[in-house]
Amino acid sequence: MNSASFLLINRCIVKLIKQPASPLTGFGMSLFFLLVYNAGIGGIGDLEAFGNAGYLSFVFPITIISLAMGSSAGAGQTLNADMQSGYFKRLYLSPAPRTILVLAPIIADTLSSLFFSMLLIAIGAAFGVVFKFGLLSVLGVLLLSFLWSLTLCGFSSGVMIRTGQHQSASIVTNAVFPLLFLSTTFLPRELMQAKWLLTVSWANPVTYVLEGNRYLLAGTSSAGFFHLAVLILGVTSILSVVYALSGAGKIKV
Amino acid sequence: MLLSYFCHSIILIMISEIIIGNVCKKYPNGIEALKDVSLEISKGQFFTLLGPNGAGKSTLVRILTTLARKDSGHFLIAGLHPDPDYRKIQKLIGVASQDNEIDPAGTVENLLIFQARLFRIPVKDATQRAGVLIKLFELGNECRKKAGELSGGNKRRLHCALALVHKPQVLFLDEPTVGMDPLARANFWEIITQMNRAENVTVFLTTQYLEEADRYASNMALINEGKICYNGTIAGFKKMVNPDRALSLDDAYLKYIKTNHR
Repeated sequence: MNSASFLLINRCIVKLIKQPASPLTGFGMSLFFLLVYNAGIGGIGDLEAFGNAGYLSFVFPITIISLAMGSSAGAGQTLNADMQSGYFKRLYLSPAPRTILVLAPIIADTLSSLFFSMLLIAIGAAFGVVFKFGLLSVLGVLLLSFLWSLTLCGFSSGVMIRTGQHQSASIVTNAVFPLLFLSTTFLPRELMQAKWLLTVSWANPVTYVLEGNRYLLAGTSSAGFFHLAVLILGVTSILSVVYALSGAGKIKV
Repeated sequence: MLLSYFCHSIILIMISEIIIGNVCKKYPNGIEALKDVSLEISKGQFFTLLGPNGAGKSTLVRILTTLARKDSGHFLIAGLHPDPDYRKIQKLIGVASQDNEIDPAGTVENLLIFQARLFRIPVKDATQRAGVLIKLFELGNECRKKAGELSGGNKRRLHCALALVHKPQVLFLDEPTVGMDPLARANFWEIITQMNRAENVTVFLTTQYLEEADRYASNMALINEGKICYNGTIAGFKKMVNPDRALSLDDAYLKYIKTNHR
């Protein structure tokens, strides 16, 4: 990666710091999930199905997932602003690699998501979330957060590039949102009564992200879920970046 | 025979800054924007491409600046082919097109420094260069203002300054003075002609302000419906259109267009 690439990524990060509405929305939504759900139904964490680790550790993964969803709803805001103002053409005419013009905002969005994940982890730890493997658990949660954010930001930017409208970035978030309720988001598999919901949750990638996180936190899931989550998100990350980059040719300059 | 061709090609590349050979471009809607366009522009030449709206001027500039792809033909800029690495060409060219290409959220000074940094100019030199351009384009009172807060004319000045920040060897000006007041235009052309004469910068201009082309350019081509109709000196064009009486470029152009392209 050359210096022009770093300059462009840095520019997107600075822009995001100056206009942090999207990541802050995701962060606020995550805190809401963490605190309100724990306060409201945290008592059920005493049930055996929660592995005696409490509800807070169980519900914590949803904060990581919703954080990225909030951030991705505004994904590519710098890219969109550059497209609207015509500045994208100026950048396009510079010797910077053209792929980085599309990648820089995605990287900035993903890094901001990662930063807020760290904050959430610190807040979670302060409130009593268990990290079974200590630092390794933290790194594992951050890895899943990074891949999940990259997936959503990549697809959101790709949609935004193709439609040319910033609002359309939220299509991906809206499409993913129902998946939260078709998974083991609020209850462990053992307590889910509807068979169809159990079946659907198996096919839902969100389930693997949640359970992978739970393996790292309270250890209430198996390592296999974590490995599968990394594999699934690794593939979706690559696909999302390819999707965004393949749309670069459609940007009018 | 082969040796002669080879020598001719080498000499052509040595003296020419831009060589365009049989470039064709057809848009998906079927419009043939460029039909077999061939031109040679010498190093340090102030060249202008004229033609009515939709004649293919901007399409040719977009192709030469690597913003659009040609369907066939070839072109070289400073002896460089765009296909292996367009970035080598990007480093050599400066482009000021019809629309402002500025980040409204960035300050004048920061935008100039950032643009210079993209061209790998060290921070110290980039800052110095930004200062020079701010002075040249009379943006001193505006340098801490955000670009979005500038007046239309000052936005235009900044847009043009951004094209010059890396001291380009070839300058593509696609209707650059649209929206500038007469004073700003005079100032802009003073900067460009100075660069052209003192630094031997090649200028490729498209404009509808024919008095500007007449005053500053030495050579021209006339394009209409994607075809080059004339290629030579401006004086030669005027003489060709009206051998008996000296005409301004404006009058000669209008006469030619009315006679040949109704």
